[in-house]
Amino acid sequence: MSFFDTHLLNVVIYLPLVFAALVLMLPSTEHGQVRTITFVGMLLDLVFGVWAYFRFEPSGAEFQMEFRVPWFQQFGMSYHLGVDGLAVSLLLLTVFLGPLVVLASTTYIQHRIKEFHLALLVLQTTMLGALASMDVLLFYIFFEAMLIPMYLMVGVWGAEDRRMAAVKFFLYTLVGSLLMLVAIVALYFVSGAPGTRSFDYGTLYNNLLGANQQLAACASGPEGACASLTGLAATLHTYGPWMFAAFALAFAIKVPMWPVHTWLPDAHVQAPVAGSMILAGVMLKMGTYGFWRFAIPLFPVAAQAARPFLAVLAVIGIVYGALMCLAQRDIKKLIAYSSVSHLGYCMLGLLAVTSEGATGSAYQMLNHGVSTGALFLLFGFLYERRHTRLMSDYGGIAKVMPVFTAAFVIITFSSVAVPGTNGFIGEFLVLMGTFKSTLPLGFGAFATLGVILGAAYMLWMVQKVFFGGITHRENQHLRDMNIREMLTTAPFIVLVAVMGLMPQPFLDRLAPSTDRYVARASVGAPGALQAKDDQLRVEVMSLPSTAAAARPSVPAAPLAARE
Amino acid sequence: MDGIVEFFRTAPIPPEVFSPSLGLIILLPLLGAFVCGVFGKWLGRANVHLVACSAIAGAFVLSLMAFWATSDAAGGRVVSMPNAFGLDRDVVRYAIAHDYGTWFAAGDFRVNFGLLVDHLSGILLLVITGVGFLIHLYSTSYMEHDDGYWRFFAYLNLFVAAMLTLVMADNLVLLFVGWEGVGMASYLLIGFWYTDSAKAWAGRKAFVTNRIGDFAFLIGTFLLILTVSAFNRQADARDYAVAGTSRARYEQGLSEKGPVTFKGLEKMALALPEGMGGAVSLETPIEAGPLSGYTFGGVMTATMLLFLLGAAGKSAQLPLYVWLPDAMAGPTPVSALIHAATMVTAGVYLFCRMSSLLVLSPTAMATIAIVGALTSLLAALIAFAQDDIKKVLAYSTVSQLGIMFMGVGMGVFWAAALHLVTHACFKACLFLGAGSVMHGNGDETDIKKLGGLWKEQKWTHATFLVSTLAITGIIPLSGFFSKDAVFHGVHHNHLHELHWVSGLVYALGLVITACTAFYMSRVYLLTFTGRRSPEAKVAHAHESAWHMTLPLVILAFLSIVTLVYALPLMPRSGGGFQPVFENFLSPVLRPAEAVARTAKTVALDTSSPAFVDYLIAWMVALSGGATAAFLYLKFFPAQVGKPVPAFARAVRRTAQNKFYVDELYEFILIRPVKFVAFILFRVVDALVIDTVLVRGTAYVTEKVGFGLRRLQTGDAQAYAAIMALAILGGAVYALLQVLS
Repeated sequence: MSFFDTHLLNVVIYLPLVFAALVLMLPSTEHGQVRTITFVGMLLDLVFGVWAYFRFEPSGAEFQMEFRVPWFQQFGMSYHLGVDGLAVSLLLLTVFLGPLVVLASTTYIQHRIKEFHLALLVLQTTMLGALASMDVLLFYIFFEAMLIPMYLMVGVWGAEDRRMAAVKFFLYTLVGSLLMLVAIVALYFVSGAPGTRSFDYGTLYNNLLGANQQLAACASGPEGACASLTGLAATLHTYGPWMFAAFALAFAIKVPMWPVHTWLPDAHVQAPVAGSMILAGVMLKMGTYGFWRFAIPLFPVAAQAARPFLAVLAVIGIVYGALMCLAQRDIKKLIAYSSVSHLGYCMLGLLAVTSEGATGSAYQMLNHGVSTGALFLLFGFLYERRHTRLMSDYGGIAKVMPVFTAAFVIITFSSVAVPGTNGFIGEFLVLMGTFKSTLPLGFGAFATLGVILGAAYMLWMVQKVFFGGITHRENQHLRDMNIREMLTTAPFIVLVAVMGLMPQPFLDRLAPSTDRYVARASVGAPGALQAKDDQLRVEVMSLPSTAAAARPSVPAAPLAARE
Repeated sequence: MDGIVEFFRTAPIPPEVFSPSLGLIILLPLLGAFVCGVFGKWLGRANVHLVACSAIAGAFVLSLMAFWATSDAAGGRVVSMPNAFGLDRDVVRYAIAHDYGTWFAAGDFRVNFGLLVDHLSGILLLVITGVGFLIHLYSTSYMEHDDGYWRFFAYLNLFVAAMLTLVMADNLVLLFVGWEGVGMASYLLIGFWYTDSAKAWAGRKAFVTNRIGDFAFLIGTFLLILTVSAFNRQADARDYAVAGTSRARYEQGLSEKGPVTFKGLEKMALALPEGMGGAVSLETPIEAGPLSGYTFGGVMTATMLLFLLGAAGKSAQLPLYVWLPDAMAGPTPVSALIHAATMVTAGVYLFCRMSSLLVLSPTAMATIAIVGALTSLLAALIAFAQDDIKKVLAYSTVSQLGIMFMGVGMGVFWAAALHLVTHACFKACLFLGAGSVMHGNGDETDIKKLGGLWKEQKWTHATFLVSTLAITGIIPLSGFFSKDAVFHGVHHNHLHELHWVSGLVYALGLVITACTAFYMSRVYLLTFTGRRSPEAKVAHAHESAWHMTLPLVILAFLSIVTLVYALPLMPRSGGGFQPVFENFLSPVLRPAEAVARTAKTVALDTSSPAFVDYLIAWMVALSGGATAAFLYLKFFPAQVGKPVPAFARAVRRTAQNKFYVDELYEFILIRPVKFVAFILFRVVDALVIDTVLVRGTAYVTEKVGFGLRRLQTGDAQAYAAIMALAILGGAVYALLQVLS
């Protein structure tokens, strides 16, 4: 057992924090050093993250690279890390964006540089921590901690209206997650007798599983059959929907689903380029990840009841988000609303509860991180040059910035899901999963409308910004991308092609997780084929006892007794 | 003689050796696109020309090898490949294929990078790379003054790669890659001169209109996937036996190749009709799954209608044809290659490829035929009044595509495919001729401002004349035979319970023939004959360089010799003779014929056109041409200076404005969507959700806080007074309770 067998995830998570400490020690006037150290830290983290991604064995256990030590045992907590296929994929996305975000901010951020990079590094740690947490309370801590650096990023380094946007973002997401905290604590108390309770995801899920199965059996039975339930099943019957609602609201705000999406355009518009990239790239996925990991598997019956409602919201999100884009004048706002539309696909894929839909949803999460992240990045370059977000202030840029235009158009094609780019695989699988699911055909048909509208708004924006004659004198001498900017953009373009043409290595890592997600979500579906128990139960490493943890330092026998 | 036959029936590279290299046909143009696009600026003009042309030439040579390999019969053994969905003895003859493995798989769905070349895709490979190469050659001269040459050739190569993917794909999803890929390349090429805002808009219009079609295409694909799984669930051994397969083999095929493979779909089509019994027929309702309650036949009709909408987008049919005339904003070689010869025929190719599924639904077939006929007629009428030479040719393309759709819809797939091939030759020739005219006349496109070019551009004139005669349908040229083959089939094939369609579509076809002859003669007469217009941009036109005239000559030659395909030279299995092309495509279309026979959905006719049929068609075409000649040589020149009746002016204005279809779409579709988007944004998003609900919550919280703050005065006397009042109130309440 080498160090990395047990500690790889810890390394990935806390490496940015270590570099944050290094940055903290630098004098704040040493801008170059601050940037370099942060970049090196992110790059090193990328190396370890990629290593973790390749270590993940698709055919192996559900959760891998686990690490668990006792922590606040009085509260039923432990420090427990582990990743499944989805988490490790999102982890890869996070560490991939890390160094690029630093590069993107090199000239964008001009004041309080040290603080900015500190916030960036801390944010990275909290996001990675939330993805790898196997303890619900630990997840909650990271989930909330994420807000603080992001709040600062929007509030300090944002555009003209930054304070309003930052406060709105913070309060909006906090409202949801506080309700979730209540639900987490309530769940802890109902999940078992004193002594068997735990905040650990595995224990919590397995404790609820039997009750959920009973509840599903009676819910599909005759009217009133559930009145005779006892114990945990009865509690879940009464309070499960409320707890699900609390979880769902917290995550729905984060996604964001319609109609709790209005914090997103403001936050995106005001955030600096790094903030927008991380927000779109990773933080929104925390919402879908939460649905996938917590809200739906823990409350399959309530989720099943709410499924049509949530699916309607997802489809509204797809079409409504796209229509919003058509009404925008502000480029960043347009990209933000396109996120609402794309995340609608992710949610629809999850709610379809078919392996195609869930796989597509997971893949779409990665795609959205790549393509929307790149759109914000590229627009950031343009914003640095002109300091305006209005489409009408551009026009004919292609003539003066050909390389930039080429990059932007390629990413646009990825965003509108042209086959051969990454976007197509995700969107196709989501739509097919929706058609195959038990949702009525209309859901799939309406969602497919997004295909038309997506092309309409994205190409409209490209047209307005890049094509035609140059309408403003200020745009005549814009310089094209420099080497740094090209290097920052290149990884995105490579990924667009690689993920579009060779998606299978990525999908292979997602497949076992999607199968388990579908099995667990189908617990609540009446008449669905019940999966085998090994698909349902969460197998995690048990908590090493204090004695075992301490054993290596204790001699096997008194020294005096040795021969 | 036997030696020659033996030579042609022995592929220079044996099929089993060649098939793993099929991917190279796509990769070469893709590599060309990459090199030209990324390094083109540094390579310089000559190198870019060399790279782009040799990539296509290489693809052409490889296509020729592939085509040859599909006809290989060395040593008396016909080339064949195992059918993954059939029994072991069930092989696909005259085809080669190679599977490059999984593209993506999730759940029980999978898509492979599978390439298939049979006689249908083989001939299209030759058309795409052959015509494509000529157009590349032509472009080296046409684009010689343009600074964006490297971009142009990169896009053009990219287009060819996508188009080759489209025709070689062995499953629907890979076909869709090419389908959208050509749309993307077309978007880039239409908007090639992006500094002109109108041209860039035309590109966007093309892409978005195509996307409407793709929307239907995607849903159709999903319905097919659902149907396949329902079929596989419900079919019994007899169903599989009819299709020459077994459940085990079929399921193995599904798990290896995925549900949207054409060969697998073909097996399902063979098993669906009520032939020798079996659990599944067209009237069987689907038992479980999302489609439960619908019959297989009903779902198939819906699916095919969705594919019709998809094909209407790509092939510019009603109601989605509006993008094609605007697409003429692109450089002329692009119009020739993409918007005449190859991309726009993708819809026809799609239906030929899925012919066995299409013949399951006479309703869908009738709809396709009628849509094709109406589109063709409408486009021909609009073409009457257009003065832009490229616009006339664009509408004529729409019209000719309509004729192909009529053929596909009435089940004469081979004739539609033949018309596709001949049309590719003569329409490419026409467009390149128009380009040559523009090149020699200072980019003038208005035919009223040209005239008298026959002396000045001899080669262009001669080739334009040949291809005009071909499209008009004058007797010894290929267009006559292919068009007449379509109309003959349309006339004599009968759809089940929809017999009236044959007569209607045939009658419309004759009208279209006359119209085609009229407007094509008009273009030819106004452009090349008479005297040079005083409004011409340059005093004397110059003939183009050999790069441009050579392709013209070759294409004109091809539009004559392809008539061989339509001659009844091959023996028919039941006695008599059949046209070469029908015989040639029969390995591809045989399943469709088998399905049509057992399902009795369409009665396929096998007679050859009689002399009278030829005569009628010829007379109709001649009358159209003669009318045009009379009007534009005699009548209108005599009318110059006289007032035009108001009625005639109104008719002309309406036709010139394309019957206001664009305006209608703008009014009923585009503006409402924009308006709804705007209202939703202003009212629902900004006002209701963000202001009232979100900010409202914050506002109420803040105001409540402010209100409560007033209570916290810090004044002990006030606190005491409130406390006293509260105690008093409590005491009163308690007293009242006690007393009552």
